[in-house]
Amino acid sequence: MNVVALFKLVPDLVEELEIDQSGTALNTDFLRLIINELDDHAIEQAILLKERSGARMTVIGSDAEGADDVLYTAVAKGADQLIKLMGDPNAVINNHAMARATAIVLKELQPDLILTGVQAHNDLDGSIGPLVAEYLGMPYVGYVSGVNVQNGRIVVRKEYPGGLIAEMEVDLPAVVGIQSAEQPPRYVTVNKVRQAMKTAAIEERPLPALDVSGGAAIRRMFKPESATRAKMIEGSTEEVTARLLDIFKEIGAL
Amino acid sequence: MPFRETFWNIPHWAEIGQYILGLLTILVFAYGVFRRVKRWRMGQPEKRFDQIGKRLWSVLVDAFGQARTAQDAYAGIMHLTIFWGMVALFIGTALATVDWDVTHLFFGFQFLINGAYILYELILDIFGVLLLVGLGMAVYRRYFIRPPRLQPATAWQNALAQNVDRDDAYALVMLTLITLSGYFVEGLRIAVSKPEWSPWSPVGNALASWFIVTGDPTNRTLHLTLWTIHILVAFILIASIPFTKLFHILAAPLNIFFRSMQPAGTLIPARNDDQVGVKEWRDFTWKQLLDFEACVRCGRCQDACPAFASGASLSPRNFIISLKTHLWDTSSGHRLHGDVISSKELWACTSCRACVQVCPIFVDHLASIVDMRRYLVNEGEIDALLQKTLANLGRYGNSFGQSERLRVKWTQPIQAVIKDARKEAVEYLWFVGDYASYHVMFSDITRKTAQVFQKADLDFGILYDAERNTGNDVRRVGEEGLYESLVEKNAAVMSKCKYNTIVTTDPHTYNTLKNEYPANGNNHPVLHYTELLDQLIAAGKLQINKKLNYKVTYHDPCYLGRYNGIYDAPRRIIRALGCELTEMPRHGDRAFCCGAGGGKIWMEEQPEVKERPAESRVREAAGIPGVSTLVTTCPKDLVMFCDAVKTAGLEGKILVKDLIELVDEAM
Repeated sequence: MNVVALFKLVPDLVEELEIDQSGTALNTDFLRLIINELDDHAIEQAILLKERSGARMTVIGSDAEGADDVLYTAVAKGADQLIKLMGDPNAVINNHAMARATAIVLKELQPDLILTGVQAHNDLDGSIGPLVAEYLGMPYVGYVSGVNVQNGRIVVRKEYPGGLIAEMEVDLPAVVGIQSAEQPPRYVTVNKVRQAMKTAAIEERPLPALDVSGGAAIRRMFKPESATRAKMIEGSTEEVTARLLDIFKEIGAL
Repeated sequence: MPFRETFWNIPHWAEIGQYILGLLTILVFAYGVFRRVKRWRMGQPEKRFDQIGKRLWSVLVDAFGQARTAQDAYAGIMHLTIFWGMVALFIGTALATVDWDVTHLFFGFQFLINGAYILYELILDIFGVLLLVGLGMAVYRRYFIRPPRLQPATAWQNALAQNVDRDDAYALVMLTLITLSGYFVEGLRIAVSKPEWSPWSPVGNALASWFIVTGDPTNRTLHLTLWTIHILVAFILIASIPFTKLFHILAAPLNIFFRSMQPAGTLIPARNDDQVGVKEWRDFTWKQLLDFEACVRCGRCQDACPAFASGASLSPRNFIISLKTHLWDTSSGHRLHGDVISSKELWACTSCRACVQVCPIFVDHLASIVDMRRYLVNEGEIDALLQKTLANLGRYGNSFGQSERLRVKWTQPIQAVIKDARKEAVEYLWFVGDYASYHVMFSDITRKTAQVFQKADLDFGILYDAERNTGNDVRRVGEEGLYESLVEKNAAVMSKCKYNTIVTTDPHTYNTLKNEYPANGNNHPVLHYTELLDQLIAAGKLQINKKLNYKVTYHDPCYLGRYNGIYDAPRRIIRALGCELTEMPRHGDRAFCCGAGGGKIWMEEQPEVKERPAESRVREAAGIPGVSTLVTTCPKDLVMFCDAVKTAGLEGKILVKDLIELVDEAM
C-alpha cells in the first residue's frame, strides 16, 4: 500500500506577525515557518500505518525554509520517500492552486491513501484535503483521529462536536484530513535526524504550473482590531431576559 | 620464655588437613573472583587507568581509611571496628602460621617470642573485642533499630528480597562465629596449658578461668572440636567471599581505585557512535558493572535522595541492587528496561548527585541513570511536556519555546546599554541562561544583576539573541545529540567574541560551561556570579553601603555546591551584606535538591509524589526560628521555592530571594 502524507509550512506564531506595506500579505522579514501542527499528526498517522501494515510511505511538501528539516525528521521516524516541490513558496497561501499542482504529482505516485492535516491556521480558501480529493476524484473524510487498514479498505475514526465519534469504512484510494494521530507525534533525537541527513535523499520535483482560480483574492490583511461595542447587561435573570427580548425586537430579530 | 605454640593439641593429620583445606579454599576463592571479573569484562570498554598515584591515594583514604563511611557516626564506628578487627586478626593468624610452619619448621627460629609475643596476644585480644563490639552494633542496628534504608523495598520480588536478607545475615553470623570460636579455642588452650603470660590475653584468660570453674579443664577433645569449627568457618568464610556480600572486601577498594577522576560536573559522553545509550546490561561499561557489584546496600544514597524522599518510585539503592541481580539473572528472561528498571524510576532522578556524594565506595548512580535515559530518549519514550521542551530547545534554543529575540526583553527598561559581546571586546562575557532571561519571575532580578555589575564598573557584555541554552540539563535528560547541537551553536558565537572570563547567573549553565565545554574548545575561566562578587568585595571594588541585618538561611544549589564545590563564596557575600546566616540541617554537600535538575523542571509530576522536594526544602527553611528569608543563587531554585512557598501555605512566613537581590539592596 502506498501512503502519502502532505505537509505545508505555516508562519510560526512564536514570532509576532506583521503585515507588509502592500497590506495584503505578511511581512516576510521576520517570518519564520513551522510545520502545520496537524500535518505533523498526519505524518505520525502515516508512520503508524506503515508500522502496522507495512505500507510504503512518502512525504511531500513545498520548498520553503525548514522543509528539509521536516523531511529528514520524517525519514528518521520511518518515512521511505521524500519529495520536495520546487517553486514559488509565496503561492502556498492559495490552496486551490496548491491542490491542483499537488494532484498532478500525486497522480504519478498512484497512492492508495493520502493523509494531510485537516486544517491549517493560514488556510484562506478552505483546507487542502477536500480540494486534493476533488481534483483526484477520490473520497474525502476530515476530522479523523485514527486510521486502520482492513481488507483493502480503511476504517477511520471521525470526531464530531459534542463528543460523538463515528467509525466509517472508506474505499481506497482516498484522502483523509487528520485532526489528530492516534498518538502524539513521536520525538526523534537530533542524532537520528542528523544520521538521516547523511543517508536519506530528498527528491526535488518541479512544482507544476499554478492555477489560482477558485481561490481567495486578498483585498486587505489586518490584525484584529479592538472595539468597544460589547455591552454588559446587568441585573437579575428576569431583568436580563426582558432586556434581551427588547434588544432582539429593536434590531428586528423577533 | 613466652612463645607461641600454634598447633597445641592439634594432631598432625589435622594440621596437614588444614593446609589441604586452605588450598581448596584458595581455589574456590580464585574461581569466584575469576567468575566476577569475567562478567565485568562483558561490559563496554572504559579508560580508568590514568592518574595511578591519585587513585592509590584514594584507595588509602577511602578504602582503608574509610573516610566516607566514617561520616555517619554509628555506621562508621560499626564498620571501622569490624574492618580493623578482622584485618588485625587475619594478620595475626597469618603471622602465627608463618611463625610456626615456616620459620620454626624450616629455619628453626620463632619471632613470636618474649615481648613481641606478649604484645601480639594483647593486641589481638583487644581487636577481637573491637570486632565483637562492631558486630554487636551491626546486629542491633539491622535487626532492632531497623532503619528504613536497610529494609527491602516493597517493589522487589520476594525471592530477591529474601536472598538479600540471607546474604546480609550470613556475613554477620559467620564473622561472629569465627570470632567467638577463636576466643573459645584460646580459652581452652590457656585453661589446659596455663602459661604464666596468659594475663596478656585478657579475654582468653577470662574464658579459661570460666572453663576451669564450669567443667573439665583438660578436655582436649572439646578444644580440638572448637579448633576444627574455627578453621572450617574461617575457610568457608574466605571461600565464600566472591559469592556473597563479603565480596565488597575486594570490589569496594577496586571500585574506589577505578572511580572517575574527572570533575563531578563532567558527564561521560554517550559511548556508541549512534548514541543509543544502554539497552541491555552489556551496554554498560565494565566500570558501571563493577559499581553494581561493589554495592553493599548500605542505603545512604536512599536516605540522601530527594526523589525517594518525595515518594517517587526511585530509590538509588534499589536501582543498584536490581541491576546487580539482573547481571547474574540469566534464566528469567527479564528485560533491563521495563522488567528490571522502570522508566518512572529513571525519570524520577533530579541529577542532584546527593547519592554519588554520600556513597562510601564511590558508586556513580547518575552515570548509569543517564545512560539508560539515553536509550529511552532514543526510543522516544518521554513524557509529553519533556518532548515539547526538547522540541523547543531544538527549534528556538530555549526551553520556553519563545523567540530568540525575546531573550533580551528583560533589558528593555534598563537605561544604560549593555554591551553586545559579539560586537566589542569585553572583559566578562555574561552568560545569562534561559531562566534568568525568559522567566517572568526573574527578569527583574536579572536587571538587578546588570545594575550590580554596572555599579561595580565591570566591563561586561552579553550575547543577546545569539545565546542558546547551554544544554546542561538536556545532556542529563539523555538527549546527547541535542546537547551537541546546542554546544555547537554557542561555541560558534563565542569563538567570534573577545573576552577574558565567562560569568554566569545559572549554576546549571555554569557547570557545563566550566566542566564540559572545554572538550568543545572553551578555555576561558568560568565564574558563577557569586564567585565574581566575592572577588570584587574582597578587592574593595564593590561598595556595600547598607548593612541589611536580615536573618537568612542559604540553600546550596546542587550544580554550584555538590557539583562544583562552591560553598563559601555565597556565604561570605551574605555575611559581607550584614546578614545573619543560620544553616539549615541539610546544607553544604548535604543540601537537599529543589527537584528541578536533570530536566525534572520540564517533566510532568509523577502521581506517586507526596511531598515535592521544593516543599520539603521551604518547610526546612521556615522551620528555623527567626529566619525570614531563604536565599539562593540559582534561578530554577527561586522559581521552584516561590511556588512551593505558596503550595505549602508558608506565604508571609518565609521569603525566597536570590542573593543578587540582597546585594543590590545593600549597594
